Amino acid sequence: MSEPGTGSPVLDVRGLGRRFGGLQALSDVSFTVPPGRTLGIIGPNGAGKSTFINLVTGHIRPTSGRVLIDGRDMTGARPWSVARAGVARTFQIVKPFRGMTVRENVAVGILYGPEGTGVMSHALTAADEVLEQVGLGPLADRSPGALTVADARRLELAKALALRPRLLLLDEVMAGLRHREIEPSLALIDSLKAQGMTIIAVEHVMKAIVAISDEVLVLHQGRVLTSGEPDTVLSDPRVIEAYLGQRYVKRQQAVSPDA
Amino acid sequence: MGASSAEIRTPARTETATARPRARARWRRLLPWAAGVLVLLACFGLQTQLYTGQERTVTTIFMFVALAQAWNIIGGFAGYASFGQVVFFGIGGYSTAVVMYHLQLNFWLALVLSGLLAAAFGALIGLPLLRLKGHYFAIATLGVAEGMREVVNNVPGLTGGGAGISIPTVGPRASTPYLGNDGFYILFLLLAALAVLVGGLVSRSKFGLALRAINQDEDAAGSMGVNTTRVKVAAFTLSGFLVGLVGASYAFQQVTIFPERLFDVDITVLMVMMVVIGGSGTVLGPLLGAVGLQYVSEYLRQHYTDLHTFILGAIIIAAVVLVPQGVVTYAREATRTRDFSLLGNVRRYRL
Repeated sequence: MSEPGTGSPVLDVRGLGRRFGGLQALSDVSFTVPPGRTLGIIGPNGAGKSTFINLVTGHIRPTSGRVLIDGRDMTGARPWSVARAGVARTFQIVKPFRGMTVRENVAVGILYGPEGTGVMSHALTAADEVLEQVGLGPLADRSPGALTVADARRLELAKALALRPRLLLLDEVMAGLRHREIEPSLALIDSLKAQGMTIIAVEHVMKAIVAISDEVLVLHQGRVLTSGEPDTVLSDPRVIEAYLGQRYVKRQQAVSPDA
Repeated sequence: MGASSAEIRTPARTETATARPRARARWRRLLPWAAGVLVLLACFGLQTQLYTGQERTVTTIFMFVALAQAWNIIGGFAGYASFGQVVFFGIGGYSTAVVMYHLQLNFWLALVLSGLLAAAFGALIGLPLLRLKGHYFAIATLGVAEGMREVVNNVPGLTGGGAGISIPTVGPRASTPYLGNDGFYILFLLLAALAVLVGGLVSRSKFGLALRAINQDEDAAGSMGVNTTRVKVAAFTLSGFLVGLVGASYAFQQVTIFPERLFDVDITVLMVMMVVIGGSGTVLGPLLGAVGLQYVSEYLRQHYTDLHTFILGAIIIAAVVLVPQGVVTYAREATRTRDFSLLGNVRRYRL
């Protein structure tokens, strides 16, 4: 594997946009993610973060622009084609398959993912390995309905990892977690990064964004407000304004004019 | 709630500790197959012990076992409640009648052809219909079945129209001799066995897992690589194939068939009820549902002729209210949680 951050981009979006009737949910979003890098996407509610993920994974078709995955044009491709091209995602509202065990939940991705093994018993064994990786090993036989919030989020992640993806899209995997539950999740994402996985994380938990991102991109009202190094972006007055409003920024400047 | 799973995490299990549960799990997997083979063998001898009327009743039970099992593939596993599966019954029946009447085709050839035609029709209408969900899918499938009945009614040259069509069973035009009571008993028994076998294979396969995933959350299934369109259409087609085979056999058994009977919405409703009462998405559920409902219905018809439908209706309502998840699913949950309270069950599955 080449150095992280070099080589042709895993994801290349060009002028991506989506209009819902009179609402332009996303417009003219362009950027690339090189292999092995982690991009954090932040933005206030309604900024278009989830729309962006849905556009990349094919759950929504774009009204403009293009999506290239590993150089292949996957604009408007169906979700299963995107999944088999090596892109896995989690959902902001977890979507476990109730009525099957935690192990079977993960086995679906192993059976139908890019490597698509057809043998059920192999898939169940491989599912156990993925569950071990996210720390759900002992709960493999449980029903997903019996999981805690934190474990349900882990299952969501395990289902994505079952695809052995090249690109992992995380839609608020930290949401609803307690402080001490965030650390293991961060450690897990770090280990995925160490394996060379390319990650895009949509997140509201700033601590998590700073910890995992190589680069941060800010969406605001469906447009890219700015992007760059996490520290630079998060201290950008425009970003603070987008999140906390103009009055907050003015008050801060009044307190320390050089801020 | 907040209790982390870390506290109950166990160290890596040793080989010896896992060997015994594995062997037991393998036995538990084989047990239903063994039981199925035993029941099948018993049924092969059963007809010699029955009066003609009883034999016909049991033959009908076999027919509904096959139909319920077929409905379960699309309605139970995939969760797409079709209210038009009878369309495949009608297509199967009429294909057989038409080719046996007009072309003097052998019944066994007609049977296979009818199944394939029904399957092809399933694939064709499945593509547009399976884009719909819930009530919309139910109504659309209902409409297809009603529409197909009118099509059959309106091409009398081919189908005999409302006057019906008769399969030649005697004389030079008869391509296959009539099978008789014993013959149809065996035929429907084999169809029931085939349908249960297909249901059992589906439930343990990659395909079945995808259907259950689609049932729970189609978006999530798609994002895990399941081609939801293809899997749904395959399930609908497979279900249609089985129902088509049953319809073809039914037509031959009846000799003369009419559009009203072959496209009767009651047949669909019975399939749905048997699966729902038995336990949808299981293999045993449709089997027990079909046997139970047909048996109770027949028993009531003989012993309470006047009140038959009234009592049957009351039983169905009671079953749906008390065990809305179906008898088999209820029994499994109850033995797992050791909570057999029906009232508790009603509360859990508040409708």
